[in-house]
Amino acid sequence: MAKYILKRFIHGLISIVIVVAIVMVLIYTLLDRMTIFAEDEVYRKLQSNAKTTYTYRRWQDYGYLDYVNYSEWLTAQVREGNMDAETREAASKLGRKAEDDDEVVAKYVQEFTDYYKSKGFNVERLKAVTSRRKVAAGGQPELFAHRDRPLSSRLIEYFSSIVTIDTIHYVDEETDIGERGLTFTTHDPVYGGEKFSPAIIGNGTKHKYLLYFNDRFPYLHQNLITINLGTSYSVNKDHDVLETMLQTQGEYVTKQMTFPTNHTEESADDLHTATYLAGSLAGSEMLQTRFVDDYTNTLTTKGGRSKIAFSFSIGIIASILAYALGLPLGVFMARHKDGLVDKLGTFYIVFIMSVPSLAYIFLFKAIGGSLGLPTTFDVNHGTTLMYVLPIVSLALPSVANLMKWLRRYMIDQMNSDYVKFARSGGLSENEIFAKHILKNAAIPIVHGIPSTILGALTGAIITERVYTVPGTGNLLTQAINFYDNGVIVGVTMFYGLLSVVSIILGDVLMSVVDPRISFSNESR
Amino acid sequence: MKSELKNLKGLGVPEEELFSFVEHSDVEAEKITAPRYSYWQSVFRVFFRKKINIIMLGLLLLIILFAYVYPTLITYDRYANITDSSTKHLMPAAAIEKFGFSLSWILGAGGSGEPTFDTIWVGSQISISLALICALINLTIGILLGAVWGFSKKVDIIMMEVYNTIANIPYVLLISVLVLTLTASFWTMVFALTVTGWLGVAYFIRTQVIIIRDREYNLASKCLGTPISRIAVRNILPFMTSVIVTLAATEVPSYISYEVFLSYIGVGLKDMSLGRLIFEAEPAMVTNGWQFEFWSPVVVASIIAVVLYVVGQNLGDASDPRTHM
Repeated sequence: MAKYILKRFIHGLISIVIVVAIVMVLIYTLLDRMTIFAEDEVYRKLQSNAKTTYTYRRWQDYGYLDYVNYSEWLTAQVREGNMDAETREAASKLGRKAEDDDEVVAKYVQEFTDYYKSKGFNVERLKAVTSRRKVAAGGQPELFAHRDRPLSSRLIEYFSSIVTIDTIHYVDEETDIGERGLTFTTHDPVYGGEKFSPAIIGNGTKHKYLLYFNDRFPYLHQNLITINLGTSYSVNKDHDVLETMLQTQGEYVTKQMTFPTNHTEESADDLHTATYLAGSLAGSEMLQTRFVDDYTNTLTTKGGRSKIAFSFSIGIIASILAYALGLPLGVFMARHKDGLVDKLGTFYIVFIMSVPSLAYIFLFKAIGGSLGLPTTFDVNHGTTLMYVLPIVSLALPSVANLMKWLRRYMIDQMNSDYVKFARSGGLSENEIFAKHILKNAAIPIVHGIPSTILGALTGAIITERVYTVPGTGNLLTQAINFYDNGVIVGVTMFYGLLSVVSIILGDVLMSVVDPRISFSNESR
Repeated sequence: MKSELKNLKGLGVPEEELFSFVEHSDVEAEKITAPRYSYWQSVFRVFFRKKINIIMLGLLLLIILFAYVYPTLITYDRYANITDSSTKHLMPAAAIEKFGFSLSWILGAGGSGEPTFDTIWVGSQISISLALICALINLTIGILLGAVWGFSKKVDIIMMEVYNTIANIPYVLLISVLVLTLTASFWTMVFALTVTGWLGVAYFIRTQVIIIRDREYNLASKCLGTPISRIAVRNILPFMTSVIVTLAATEVPSYISYEVFLSYIGVGLKDMSLGRLIFEAEPAMVTNGWQFEFWSPVVVASIIAVVLYVVGQNLGDASDPRTHM
């Protein structure tokens, strides 16, 4: 059994890799790259050479290509000690045309060109754009190299960076940040150093707090292992898909905070989430009054629940409701076939099956609205009543679906020999239905339970949009609308993983319920 | 012999009740006498036995008439009244009062002063065409490939992997990317909906084929040396007719539903299809006095879908030979 499940899981993972590859091909090669600039104000304002370099920079940000600018390369050379600052100064003065370069510049330009050409980059030199002998706005000469990222390296990079373990060597070895290492403390400094609260604090790691306690479920938190499904570029800039789903939303919750400098202030910053941001302290007066090191990048605490919490709570209650209503109704319809309930139920099933889902969700919204139920979601000042309509809108179609299939399976079972045998043996109809038919008919229904539960995590697109629920359902459509490639890949990966796991769990559950189904080879 | 016959006459029995000699005929001897049975005739006999089907078929005809004939009779210009602000967002009564009574204005006027009734039918034509073409393509490819998939065990191993992989790609993503890359025209939409849509149909047909492939009568056929192609066409296809008709009944309305959904999330057609109408009229739902603009396309889309579904389902039931008794 375990061997079979492992085999299935590995198969599933392979199919996920293929799916992610297909999705990458779709978004990185099929989509027109220029579409990301459709609503870009900066792009519209820039001119000539500056516009071209901006275009490449953005493409790099969105993950289309690798881009290196000549001046960046020079700076890197200085940092690596291959060049001193003066030479850099001299080498960075590109001539208006390639022929105008002086000796030093020409030498380094040649070096730059040779180096990147050998690595398969395209090197481009843009001549200065002049008007009346002066360099026009944005017309500075440019030299840069770019290379489209091949699918294979993109895939390898993506899958190898999914799970990252934080180490004390995260911060650049050249940077002096004092002694690197992990320290264990029993009194977390975030709570003023007086309350007993164990924590592990790192220096040189990406996250400052690697293990800590707080008052939010599940109380013990860790930052040692981070899952990185895909970094957002426009939906939730610089944050991971998983983080976007798990982050609290709504209004800031402020409380009295003691910052590392002993500065106290009403703040919504969650100091436990501090990550390293090179050079941030030196660049900001405001940060200097609060922080003592470069671990300044914190998340904020907000009052509302996270996207996934909203979607999951609505989805799971709707599913429970659907099973609680759909199963008895389905049994009743099959038990009294062609009766009044059966006819009404069939009418309802036909209605749900044929009417566009958008139409009946609006119908539920209109009916609910006229009954005085809130029709829009409020993250900050919500009441439990606002959950009613989304839950009903999600549950009623699933009720119809469950009714339809359970009725179908039960009616199919009614003509089998074992039922006739039970009847001839003198069992009452109720006994036959409850003990024999239902058990057999429920097997395919059981198979769908894990996917219903895990499916609640992905949210519902239309329902969430209609009732303005800030859930996960809209993440994919939002990412598509904003061309946020990182999020698209991340969400696809998330969906794929859930579907693989839920199908396997469904099979396992089915074999638990029905002993005749076995996945191990020996008993076959 | 003759003398005996004369004796019988004497008993006073009428001539026609007597036995007469029939010559042997080779042709007549080969005839099998059975009640006449025609499959399609029986299908329609069973179909028309239900009164609801006649009503639904009438409605279907009416819808087709309005969607395909009505738009050719009127001159529809969405922006004909765009400059006249007094024609915008009118309730039916106000619109009839303003323009005089005609069929066009019985559902009021929309946001650009266009007659809602005409807009809906122009949109319906696009939506119904899309649904029918997509269903036709998906069913044809799906049934043919599904049959091969079900018959061949080698193909089954490959196709199951393909199915498991492609089923994991979010449908919304695939369609959005295709629509974004290839401009949102009618045929792009058809392509986007059918490029993976046939897989679901093929998988369904594959399961059905596997269920009946190894039944006793097919094994018997095989033992008698019937070629696979003949088994497929003569033994399995007739069995599948009702399944296919039922499948078509759910496919067609589902594409209308899908088109509405895609328009709503903003990756639908650029043409004024029913889905796009609903999407654009959404703000009108909550505005007092504008509700007709929103609810009319919703109701029409629902009616079209229900009629297609019910007609298809009942045709599917009627095409099952077991109901022909």
